[in-house]
Amino acid sequence: MSTVIARTVTRTVVPIILVTAVALLLQGHNLPGGGFIGGVLTVTAFALIYIIYGLDYLEEELLHQNRETIIESLQHGIVENYQIAFGVGLAVAAVSGLVPLLFGGNFLLQDHWYTPALPVYGELHVASALAFDLGVYFVVVGSLLTILAVVGSE
Amino acid sequence: MQPTPDPAASAVLAVVFLPFVAAAFVPLVYRALGERTAYYAAAVALACFGLVASQYGTHGTVSFPWIPSLGVSVSFYVDGLSLLIGFLASGVGVLILTYSGGYMHGEPGQPKYYAALLAFMGSMLGVAFAADLIALFVFWELTSLSSFILIGHYQRQKSSQYAARKSMLITVSGGLFMLVGFLLLHAVTGEFSIVYMLENPEFVQEQLRAEGLFLPVLGLVGVGAAAKSAQVPLHIWLPNAMEAPTPVSAFLHSATMVKAGVYLLGRFRPVLVSHEWELAFAILGLTTMTVAAILAVGATDIKELLAYSTASHLGLIVAGFGFVSELGGETGAFHIINHATFKAALFLVAGIVAHEAGTRKIDNLGGLKDDLPITAGIAVVASLGMAGVPPFNGFYSKELLFEAAWEAAHAAGGGLAYLYPAVAVFGSVFTFLYSIKFLMLFFGEKPTGLHKVHSPPKAMLAPPLLLGVLAGLVSIGGLLGTFDIHFAPFDDFVTEVWAATVPPGADLHGGFSYYIPDHVTPALAMSAVTIALGAAAYPFYDRLHRGVNAITDVNFLRANWYYDSTVFGVNDFSDTTAATVQNGLLRTYATWAMASVAALALAGYVASGVALPDFSGFAVTIPLALVLGVAIVGAVAVSIAPSHISGVLTLSILGFMVAVFYVLASAPDLALTQLVVETLLLVIFLLVLDKLPAFYGNAGRGKMIRDGVLSAVVGATVFVTVLVSTAATPDAPLADYFRDPALTVDQAGGHNIVNVILVDFRAFDTMGEIAVVAMAALSVLTLVAMRERGETQ
Repeated sequence: MSTVIARTVTRTVVPIILVTAVALLLQGHNLPGGGFIGGVLTVTAFALIYIIYGLDYLEEELLHQNRETIIESLQHGIVENYQIAFGVGLAVAAVSGLVPLLFGGNFLLQDHWYTPALPVYGELHVASALAFDLGVYFVVVGSLLTILAVVGSE
Repeated sequence: MQPTPDPAASAVLAVVFLPFVAAAFVPLVYRALGERTAYYAAAVALACFGLVASQYGTHGTVSFPWIPSLGVSVSFYVDGLSLLIGFLASGVGVLILTYSGGYMHGEPGQPKYYAALLAFMGSMLGVAFAADLIALFVFWELTSLSSFILIGHYQRQKSSQYAARKSMLITVSGGLFMLVGFLLLHAVTGEFSIVYMLENPEFVQEQLRAEGLFLPVLGLVGVGAAAKSAQVPLHIWLPNAMEAPTPVSAFLHSATMVKAGVYLLGRFRPVLVSHEWELAFAILGLTTMTVAAILAVGATDIKELLAYSTASHLGLIVAGFGFVSELGGETGAFHIINHATFKAALFLVAGIVAHEAGTRKIDNLGGLKDDLPITAGIAVVASLGMAGVPPFNGFYSKELLFEAAWEAAHAAGGGLAYLYPAVAVFGSVFTFLYSIKFLMLFFGEKPTGLHKVHSPPKAMLAPPLLLGVLAGLVSIGGLLGTFDIHFAPFDDFVTEVWAATVPPGADLHGGFSYYIPDHVTPALAMSAVTIALGAAAYPFYDRLHRGVNAITDVNFLRANWYYDSTVFGVNDFSDTTAATVQNGLLRTYATWAMASVAALALAGYVASGVALPDFSGFAVTIPLALVLGVAIVGAVAVSIAPSHISGVLTLSILGFMVAVFYVLASAPDLALTQLVVETLLLVIFLLVLDKLPAFYGNAGRGKMIRDGVLSAVVGATVFVTVLVSTAATPDAPLADYFRDPALTVDQAGGHNIVNVILVDFRAFDTMGEIAVVAMAALSVLTLVAMRERGETQ
């Protein structure tokens, strides 16, 4: 499937997809988007690379790591990073739920703040739910990529 | 009765939970003490015994708030009956654990053994003291679980596995019957408290009768008790349970676990006692007593003999509790004590014999008194007590049973009711026979092939000796009673137990006392007949033994045969089913899964009688209709796609149309999700399809029709589900609640309702969902990795 056209398009499109995904994640609280959609979109970018350049490209060409067998790559290679991603995601979500307990709130109680008049940016609106959303994002990215890589390598 | 002090809360709590805590420490202790862990466990049991003893003479309830907002509390009740069972569990526990120190020498799996024994003792103490139906049920099933571990101690042996599974199946499912009975009781009275029922027995019974639930409750609780106490025809697990190490048999199957059933009857006797009660339990008990005694005569193994004998004596206790008169309660209360002493002693004696002589076959044993003089002495006291020969302890409680049976027959006006005393005597003849047979292991000639038998270690000899002495003391108490010398604390204690098994205000005839009657009573005459018949029949023991075995060789006369046919029949059925449903073809899996989901859902709708909403015309705009029309075309195209690739591509037409539909229905968030997920799915599909053949080839016509019908049914199910689930839209849609800016913007700080719901209002749900996603990824990883490693079969 890797024609020159496909490769070129992928090169151009993947960064755009990633930026869009992050944008979706950050704006999710006020506009369509959120951790789940952002996560799935990120995975799409990776999937595109996998299809156009092959499964090993990420690891061998970009990260310069060589694995002998499938098992080894499942245990140590990039898949391990994916696993760390969803582990971290779960932890972030859980911790973001626990923090309110320190301030006497319920588990997963959320809050939000306006920061008026930042230089250049202007008003900034931060919701604590963003931390939880970030957790969701990482879990989705990590899990789907794990599945993708494992199933793809079959 | 005079007022008694309240039990000490901390002591009662400690007595129930100490064994569990101690059990948790067993692995650590074993590392330090090795085989001497037995004495650690015995010390724990001794501490429990001390705590139980400290509550002697108290009476009342101890409650600890647990979930006060729901009115749930952990409560314990102390009275004569619970103290008795508490004494048995902890006291016999001390002896058994000491004995284990000698018996289990060099056996594998000791930490597990001691931990399970301690946990078992804790659950048994919990059963004894629980004052709450739910707590009682929990501890009750815990005894089943821990006994499962103990019976299956030799876990590699097929017979142990079979025995453990059998006892578990029977006692646990009996417990479930009991639970249903408890829930009915709760439904009628609104109380989980046993104390409430004991305080208002008449009111509870009236209410039960008014609701027509008296007989169901009686039956359900009865099934639970019968399963645990090995009543016919549920007795079959008890002989198999002898696969366990002998100390376990002595502990569980003579003194404690099997007593849970009779305890339950004693506990509910004041509440449920009635004409129906007598009919049910007197018949059940007498039948068990007779049948099990006959089976004991057919036994060839000494532990098997004792197992059937236990079932038989439990039948005696059940029959005692079954008789409505006060005498019935007295019989049960007193025989629990007698049986625990002589039977536990006999089990331990059997353990010594098996351990030292190396065989348990009755035919290969005899004349052991020269090698094992002390053991023989214990056996004399205990077996004669079991036989009901005066002046040994079993005699007095059997007298009480005869008296109760006679009175019951008298009160019922004769006729068929005279079967009660007749059956009691008939069963007792067999009891006499096998008791003497057991005793004769120690007398007569030594069979050839039996080498010199060594004396057992002290740790194994002391416990049965102590039990034998106790049984002897009770016997001597009866002898002295004849001369009007009474041992007041013992009599008072039995009176306490007795009082707990009769409705409040019943006449106890001035308290319990026992003695050899000095004039001829019907009961004494019955005892005389029993012994005379037994003595006359003993010379024909071998013939009887063969006769019983000839009868039990007939399949459909054995309860075991029914059990085996059912269990193994179900096994075969599940084997066939598994082979049909899971034959390794993805298509078959999908067919069965979808068909059963559709069937269950549709059956659910029919059963709950949901009505489909009225059809109110199409309210669809033209663009919407257009999009849905394209979606339908896409769906049709999928089904006739010539290859996998084109199938997937056309399927995504359907998905994208649904996304457009969401946009038109002003749900941009959903549309976005749908688009992204659809894209990813398409990509993954393509990734997988790269390796697959273009098409599987043509399926047969029959298969096509079947699949077509199935997909139509699944489609219909989904259609109905959507109709039904959207029909019940509330008047004020939920969206209005969340659309309120005061809520979303000010409180949660977000303008996107969907996201606010996901990460704020229902964040806990989301948390669970992402955990599931992570779990799915882990499972995929594990499955694939394991397959590569060749760990699957």
